Order: sequence, then C-alpha cells, then structure tokens
Amino acid sequence: MNIIVFIKQVADTEARILIKSDKKSLEIENKYNMNFFDEFAVEEAIRIKEKFKDSLITVCTYGTKKAIEALRTAIAMGVDRAFLLDNTNLDNDDPLIIAKILSSFAKKEGFDLILCGRQAIDDENANVGAMVAEFLNIPHISAILKLEVIDDKKVKAESELEGGREVIEAQLPALFTTQKGLNEPRVPLITGVMKAMKAVIPAIDPCSLGIVKEDIDTKASKITVLSYEPPQSRPPVKVIDGETPEEKVKSLVKALKEEAKAL
Amino acid sequence: MSKDVLVFIECKEGTVRKASLELLSKGKEITEKFSSYLYAVVIGYQIKGIAEGLKSFSDKVIAVDNESLKDYRWDTYMTVLEQLIKKYTPGMVFGASTITGKDMFPRLAARLNGAIISDAVGIDLDGENVRIKKPLFGGKIISWVVCKPGSTSLISFRPNSFSIEKRSLNGELIEETVEAPRDSRLNILSIDKSGSKKVDIQEADFIICGGRGMKGPENFQILEEIADIMGGRVGASRAVVDSKWREYDDQVGKSGKTVSPKLYIGCGVSGALHHTMGMDTSKVIVAINKDPNAPIFQYADYGIVDDLFNILPFLKEELKRAKEEI
Ligand SMILES: Cc1cc2nc3c(=O)[nH]c(=O)nc-3n(C[C@H](O)[C@H](O)[C@H](O)COP(=O)(O)OP(=O)(O)OC[C@H]3O[C@@H](n4cnc5c(N)ncnc54)[C@H](O)[C@@H]3O)c2cc1C
Ligand SMILES: Nc1ncnc2c1ncn2[C@@H]1O[C@H](COP(=O)(O)O)[C@@H](O)[C@H]1O
Repeated sequence: MNIIVFIKQVADTEARILIKSDKKSLEIENKYNMNFFDEFAVEEAIRIKEKFKDSLITVCTYGTKKAIEALRTAIAMGVDRAFLLDNTNLDNDDPLIIAKILSSFAKKEGFDLILCGRQAIDDENANVGAMVAEFLNIPHISAILKLEVIDDKKVKAESELEGGREVIEAQLPALFTTQKGLNEPRVPLITGVMKAMKAVIPAIDPCSLGIVKEDIDTKASKITVLSYEPPQSRPPVKVIDGETPEEKVKSLVKALKEEAKAL
Repeated sequence: MSKDVLVFIECKEGTVRKASLELLSKGKEITEKFSSYLYAVVIGYQIKGIAEGLKSFSDKVIAVDNESLKDYRWDTYMTVLEQLIKKYTPGMVFGASTITGKDMFPRLAARLNGAIISDAVGIDLDGENVRIKKPLFGGKIISWVVCKPGSTSLISFRPNSFSIEKRSLNGELIEETVEAPRDSRLNILSIDKSGSKKVDIQEADFIICGGRGMKGPENFQILEEIADIMGGRVGASRAVVDSKWREYDDQVGKSGKTVSPKLYIGCGVSGALHHTMGMDTSKVIVAINKDPNAPIFQYADYGIVDDLFNILPFLKEELKRAKEEI
C-alpha cells in the first residue's frame, strides 16, 4: 500500500503573533509544530503499515525550509520518507494553489491512499484535503473517526454527519481527512528521533512537478489579504455580587435580561 | 462576472437551517446595493414546501427535487450546484461553514477553479469591493480578504455571523431538473442521524458548557435541563471529552467546534486558551467558577465566583422563570 500524508507546519497556539506596522504582514514567534489534526493522519498511516507490512508511507509538506522540522517529527513517529516542496519565491497561501501543488506531487509519486488533517489550525480553512482529491479525481471522505482498510482496493470509513455518523465504503485510491477521535497519536521513541535527525529530506522545487510557475506564483492567487487587525477586546468582567448563591443568580439573570439583552 | 449572489440552502428535519437564512439576509443586503439578483438554491427530496417558504427571502428560488438527492453527498450535490452556477453565473456563492459546507465547498471551488474563503465571520461592502472578514489563529488575528475580480468566489460563513431579517419578497420559484449521477466509488453503508433532533452546536443561540469542575458525567443532567429550557445545547471542554463524560461532538475549542452563540455559560471551565479560541466570538459570555483567578474571567462579560453546584439549581429556576415571562 502506497500512502501519502500531507502535513503542515503551523504556529503553536501559544505563539505570540504580532501585526506588523504595514498591517499586511505578521510576525510570528518562533514556536512551530506539526498541525494538530495532521498528527492523526500520520498515526493512522503508521497503523495501516503495521497491518499491511509492505506499505510505504511518504509525508510531504509545501512550505519553507523550516517546515522540515515537522517532517522530521513524522519520521520520528515512524513514516518511511519525507519531502519538502519548497515555497521559496512562491510565497502563496491560496488553498487552490496549494492543492494544485500537492496533487501534482501525488500524481508524480503515485499512491493508493492519501491522508490529510481535517483543517490547519492557523488558517482554519479545512479546504486543502477535498481540493487535492478533486484535482486527482478521486473520492474523499472528510473528518473520519474510523478507518478500516479491507484490502488494497477497498476501505470502510466512519465520518461525522450533522447530528450523526455515517459509514461509507470507498474504493481506493481515495483521500481522507482526519480528526480527533480517530486514534491517539504516538509520542516518538528516542530511536525514532535519532533516525529523524539523520534522515535526508529532499527539497523539491514545485515547478519541477510539471506545473507552470505562472499558475502558482503570488500573482496567480485568487485571494488577497488586504489587512490584518487584532480582534476587538472585551470589556472587563463584571463579577456578580450577592450574599447567597440565590442572590447572585437573581442579579445575573436580571443583568442578562436588562443590560445584556441576552434573554 | 455578475454581482449576483447564490446561497446554498441547508435543511434539517424538513426546515431551513438558521445559518442559511442568515446568509439570505446578508445576501439581500448585498444584492440590493448592487441591484443584482439573490438566488436561493435548495437541493433535496420533497422540498417544495421549503422552496415556497424561501420565496420571501430571495429574488429567485431554484429547487432541485429528486429522490436520489434525499441525503447529502458531495458527489451528487456538488454536481448539481456546479451546473446551476454555470447556468446562472453568480459572482458569489455563499454557504454555511458546517460539516456539509466544509465537505463540499472546497471541492466545488477546485472544480470551478474559483476563489475560496472558508469560515468567514463578516462582510464589509465598500464601493465595488466586497471585503470578507476571516479570523485566523483561533481568533487571535482578524484578516480582511478579497477575491480576485472575475473569479467565481465561494465563501462559507460560520453560523451566527449575521442576523436574520424577515423579508416579504416574492421571489420566482424555478424548478430545475439536473442530472446528478452518484460516484460509484463511494457506497454509503449506513447513516445514523440519532442526534439530528438536537440543535446543531454551531448554530445554537445558547450554550451551557461544562468543564472538569462538573466532577462527573452524571452532573451534566442539570446542564441538559437548562439547555432544554433555553432551546440550546450543552457543550464540554476537552478535559471532559477526554474523560469520556461527554461525546466529542460536544467539544468546544481549538480541537473541537468553534461556536458563537448569543449566550455562552461556562461552568467549571478554567478558560484555557485552547478552549476560549473556540468560543470567544460568543455575544455574551458568563463564567461560573469557584476560582476568582480562573483565566475564563478574562473573557467573560459576567462572572459568578462560587461553587457551581450551589449555583446551578437556582440558575435553572431563574432561567425557567425568565423564559416563561417572555
Ligand atoms: C493541542 C491542544 C488542543 C486543545 N483543544 C482543546 C479544545 O478544543 N477544547 C478545550 O476545551 N480544551 C482544549 N485543550 C485543552 C485545554 O488546554 C485545557 O486543558 C482544557 O480546556 C481544560 O479543561 P477544563 O477547563 O474543563 O479543566 P480545568 O482546566 O481542570 O479547569 C476546571 C475548572 O473548574 C473549576 N472548578 C472546579 N470545581 C469547581 C466547582 N465545584 N465549582 C466551580 N468551579 C469549579 C476550577 O477552578 C477550574 O478553573 C487543548 C489542548 C491542546 C494541547
Ligand atoms: N502547505 C501544506 N502542505 C502540506 N499539506 C497541507 C498544507 N496546507 C494544508 N495541508 C493539508 O491540508 C489540511 C487542511 O488544511 P487547510 O485547508 O489549510 O485547513 C491540513 O491538515 C494538511 O493535511
């Protein structure tokens, strides 16, 4: 089984993020991780390989050289090999373009199964997975909670529906996006970490994947960020006074009704 | 590209979802400004009544009614929408950033080679520009984004981003028959919609959220009762979900659902950043916590510092009374 996992390196949720004075760019504190939801994808790939021993797991990211760190984390967890699609001089965060690049990589490498995270926790898009599937003309199933690989032609997946669940059988090749609940991502062993440190991770120019530069450079982007701003800050909390719990609740409900108009 | 707006309508249990009505309300504001058309597209089976009801909200209601479209699947629904978009050429297509919207919109954008902005929370009309407001990094940063002129723009909005305005338009009802063959590579084996009677947590106006301070799963009963009184939903922190006291569907926060109800009440929730990232766009936030230094008080509008077990029984009674008065 040939498995590709697309992962993204994202700013840690604790990282400080400042808006630069031009309001058009951000300064992000140097704290990065593999995207939270992508860990489930990496873990699931490794579990499939534990069952289908002759599988090959390839992880790939489109990003800066720094993103190699996230690829090393995946190797430490247990994937076989990793590639960086180097975005130097191509700075672009239009999901359409990212999906074009990733799908070109997948086409070139070949695959039976692709795993992505449900969404990246920096842009919170939840776009790239399904878009890659469309460009590859393969089925996708979003936000899976269970994956059972039956053989190299067929899988059964459970995914979330509005107010419920559905179980779907899909023919391979197919793409799945992973969410919390699918598995418990492993913590790399020290031997894995050593292996990851030594691993050679090739940096590939996306233009070598048979894509025309004009189709993926900044000018090709269909979306433009005009400006960034901080969220509106909230006024300080009003602590509700009262001698007894009952009094406090009465004052709270009164305030919600009359002042906040929330009831 | 036209300035027409097309809204993909989602239904649940035979009625239009609130999130879709919000989009029609906002869509009308835009099309009024540009003197363009607002289309409501409803896809499903036996949806005539729903389509009729949408006439007062839109200029044109397009209904695609077919037994094979009874349940949502991206392959069939997307093919229908794709053909309608090609026929009616709206400049903007709106959808809700729900499980369905998140599943279909990106794939549709790829098929149409269009611009996509997901999980947006606002729109600003300045001149000819339509600026879209989208939070990043769990709400730590707000971005304003525009789509390239001339490209079909698909934009999904978080439920509760806009208010619903009742209109009394009398839109034209257009029934379309569109071929939508199923993708034979996918076979749905079973659908369990046991939870669909409940309000969707992302759409709920009221959420009462329990944290580890609730002490155990049995204590969530009173939160359920309060949620029922208010017509809302119970939420949970990750600590609660990880302890298996509640289902993952209920989890609010960075790795769970992003919610923005009109009223959020946190009970025994400390207010860790990962949690507040999923709820800090709520209109009014109330925190009940016995620790006056709990970080949730930095986000709350109102706070009660007390043992929640003393507070909740009174809260239930008072909310019930308040509801009965209306
Ligand atoms: C990558 C990542 C993603 C995460 N995603 C999420 C997420 O999506 N959602 C989420 O919620 N968390 C998430 N977390 C976890 C988050 O960081 C916190 O650990 C979690 O939110 C804490 O849950 P809690 O507030 O219920 O528990 P605690 O932090 O233990 O807080 C319990 C609170 O209850 C109060 N309390 C106790 N007893 C009483 C009483 N009798 N009366 C009143 N108050 C009482 C205490 O004072 C305390 O403030 C994530 C963490 C990571 C690392
Ligand atoms: N630059 C990227 N490189 C590799 N994979 C990505 C990239 N961006 C997004 N993905 C994948 O697509 C998923 C959804 O991302 P997003 O659409 O940005 O929310 C992520 O969880 C990753 O699996």
